[in-house]
Amino acid sequence: MAAALRSSPLAHALATLHPEWIEVAGMPLASKLRDDRPDRSAKLGICDLSALPRIGLKGPGAADWLSARGVPVPDQPNTWSALEGGGAVARLARTEFLVEDGFSGKAVARLAPDLKPGSPGVYPVPRQDCALALTGELVNELLVQTCNVDFTAQTRDARVVTLTLMVGVSVTVLQQRLAGTDCWRLWCDGTSGPYLWETLTGIAAELGGGAVGFASAFPDAQLQNLQ
Amino acid sequence: MKILTCPVNGPRPVSEFAYGGEVRPMPDGATCTDREWADYVFNRSGVPGVKIEWWYHIASGTWFYAERDTVADRVIRTWLPA
Repeated sequence: MAAALRSSPLAHALATLHPEWIEVAGMPLASKLRDDRPDRSAKLGICDLSALPRIGLKGPGAADWLSARGVPVPDQPNTWSALEGGGAVARLARTEFLVEDGFSGKAVARLAPDLKPGSPGVYPVPRQDCALALTGELVNELLVQTCNVDFTAQTRDARVVTLTLMVGVSVTVLQQRLAGTDCWRLWCDGTSGPYLWETLTGIAAELGGGAVGFASAFPDAQLQNLQ
Repeated sequence: MKILTCPVNGPRPVSEFAYGGEVRPMPDGATCTDREWADYVFNRSGVPGVKIEWWYHIASGTWFYAERDTVADRVIRTWLPA
């Protein structure tokens, strides 16, 4: 792997788990962890996806800016639309959006060069998030212990985006099917990432799950467009 | 657990919110007296009753109004600023 320009907010925490790294969009992504077990992702896996490309934008012209570039804009705040390649466009408020590519998407690479300060009514929002995926049958057990929102009331097809606090950290949460795997996606500010990671993996370990590598959580994913 | 309803994100525990103070009209700094300005900056009404307050949903960064009876600590309604 060539020298990466970016590193995950969880790079230090993951390094203790002896990962095999691959590079995604200029950031090392933990593909496999030394003690990955096949059943862990099915039970309760927590996977770092901070390397996926993403941009944020806000302002009264943000929705039109995205529409003009062929991006499916969610109609309502706190909902999301799917992007080709497994990505998502999340409407975080009336005029704020998060755009993230999936494993085989290239929307962010196409949009990012156009998103510059100075566009009327459109303001870039730096997104240096800690991005996680939670997989497995016990995800709701973890959410119940860490969060005040009843996620069991949400269906994946409703495409709800929830902004709430999880163990005291502001998080954005949505449910999606990514590369054939049902998962909950979770974003928080990168500086809170190590604390959130340590807390969630600690609880997950008590439930029989824990940290997993990307290849374990998403065995069917294709990464060719992002490497 | 006390529940407050964010106009954007719906009912949430009050731990997800921060109190922003009573909504008060700001005097025109160019024309008001020093006494009026000092009163606006430094003094708050502690009289209990139904008040309109600023509240902030921490997770989403949403500022909104809440009409609250401070005697019973009962929120009557919440809404976004126009």
